[in-house]
Amino acid sequence: MSRKTGRRLFWAVSMFLCLAGFLLSLLLGPVRTTPGDLARFIQNPDRVRAAIFIDLRLSRAVLAFLVGAALALSGAILQGYFRNPMADPFVVGVSSGASLGAVLATALGFEAAVFGFSGPGLLAFLFGLGIVSIVYALSLRRGGFKIETILLTGIAAGALASALTTFFLFMRSDSYDQAVFWLLGSFQLAEWGQAATIAPWVVLCLLASVWLARDMDLLALGDETAQALGSPVRRVRKAFLVMSALLAALSVAVSGIIGFVGLVVPHWVRLLIGPGHRTLFVASALAGGTFLLYCDLLARNLLPAELPIGVITAAVGAPFFIYLLHKKR
Amino acid sequence: MSILEVSGLSAGYDGGFVVHDVSLAVEAGEFVAILGRNGSGKSTLIKAVQNLLGNVHGQVLCGGEDVFRMGPRRVAAKIAYVPQMAEPVFEYAVEEIVLMGRFARQGRFEKSSAGDAAAVAEAMRLTDVAGMREKRLSQLSGGERQRVFIARALAQDTPLLLLDEPSSHLDISYQVEIYGILKGLQKDKGKAVVVAEHNVNLAAAYARRLVFLKDGGIAAEGTPAETVTAANVLAIFGADVDIRPNTRSGLPEISLAGGRVDE
Repeated sequence: MSRKTGRRLFWAVSMFLCLAGFLLSLLLGPVRTTPGDLARFIQNPDRVRAAIFIDLRLSRAVLAFLVGAALALSGAILQGYFRNPMADPFVVGVSSGASLGAVLATALGFEAAVFGFSGPGLLAFLFGLGIVSIVYALSLRRGGFKIETILLTGIAAGALASALTTFFLFMRSDSYDQAVFWLLGSFQLAEWGQAATIAPWVVLCLLASVWLARDMDLLALGDETAQALGSPVRRVRKAFLVMSALLAALSVAVSGIIGFVGLVVPHWVRLLIGPGHRTLFVASALAGGTFLLYCDLLARNLLPAELPIGVITAAVGAPFFIYLLHKKR
Repeated sequence: MSILEVSGLSAGYDGGFVVHDVSLAVEAGEFVAILGRNGSGKSTLIKAVQNLLGNVHGQVLCGGEDVFRMGPRRVAAKIAYVPQMAEPVFEYAVEEIVLMGRFARQGRFEKSSAGDAAAVAEAMRLTDVAGMREKRLSQLSGGERQRVFIARALAQDTPLLLLDEPSSHLDISYQVEIYGILKGLQKDKGKAVVVAEHNVNLAAAYARRLVFLKDGGIAAEGTPAETVTAANVLAIFGADVDIRPNTRSGLPEISLAGGRVDE
């Protein structure tokens, strides 16, 4: 299949799936609703149905889409950044760091909002940025980006952060549920306020990444070559590092750690539409949002009780990760 | 007029200088080879003159302008660089790689223009890679890949080309092919070409002027006839060799005695 055909097919299919996903999200849930109910509600809104369709289901679907878009974009950025298709905010440890930051802020009672960020959101960002910077510095020191260094450092840092997260949660002893939320992710607590907080940042990062997409293409050739071709490499790297951490932290702050979205989605997208980052960033965001929408549908409808969404994404992502590792050898 | 004027340049990495107090001028349309052993500072010099290194001292003028005061975009509009061969990441198509040479001439949100398309087409024609525009780098041979990277440098549309060991991992037919392309660019397109090279015979056959580096300083400089001597090769490379004129071109070349049969 040529890339042009692949591209057309990709946009058509993912647009369709995205709309269908939103529609399904509106229709499926513990309260039985039919397409007829939805049609009647649209013609003639009432408070009860508004609570179900708009406040419960649509808000949750929008939040899941935004988080999926943020995670996939963060993954696409990290893969370009490390010149490696196996990077992802979870694998690199950013998500775990962010969740530690968020839990720590809550434990310390640091709840005040700064620049529209809640205390947990802010600490999540700082911890996520800290971890990705450490992984970057260590992998540079060992001469170039060795995938072993990136993965091992990321996994170690992530495991440590997760252990500390669990420790703080159990110190407060309130919360097995809380631990599950932070470590495996959920949209159970979704509300419009959360979607409104992260939406502008996701859009901003998407625009900024498209603005710097050609620079990212050049980075694939190596830093020196990229600079020789005219890219201000140091500044570009800083901008992308901050964006990848910000996107992962925003996601974690509203929905806990949801692994592997950032790994799987950009990979599929690249196979279909090619590696050019300008389209890759936009397409990953769309596909990631759609993917997580369906994962959330599964999480809340598969069993009578709701599953943590990280269980679903890991079930899809972990085998894929192993397949990639295998293919590399 | 000199397109590149290097004066009193010392350059290196975090650990210190590798190149010491080098002065050198390259004329417009000239073919110069920088020769020396591995670690003699050839690559460092090539990188330093286009402001890629953090640790530099001295002055480099390109077209009369101070390179160390230029941003990457400005340098890329004047100097094109083909680095030592690296493994490509991600599956970019040949045409996409060549188009990357246009980066410095494109606005960030702009689509590529008709001018970009024309420059890319011309660059691919001159290096004979137009037939493989849809292919991925991973599908190409070493020689084809190198031609793609030269095409990318040509798409930059600069008066000066710098190449770091452009044929070092290639077999001899590709070496001749790559140097033939470079010679053509110099003669027909008026480009100044500077190559870092460790193969003296190859450099002497194509470059009009040779610059020998030893321990980061210039050890000899001049035409092949002046510089490719047994004494120089012994002093700079530490190899005891014979020098003979090539039977077709008359240019000097290194001839190895090897172990004698009667020994």
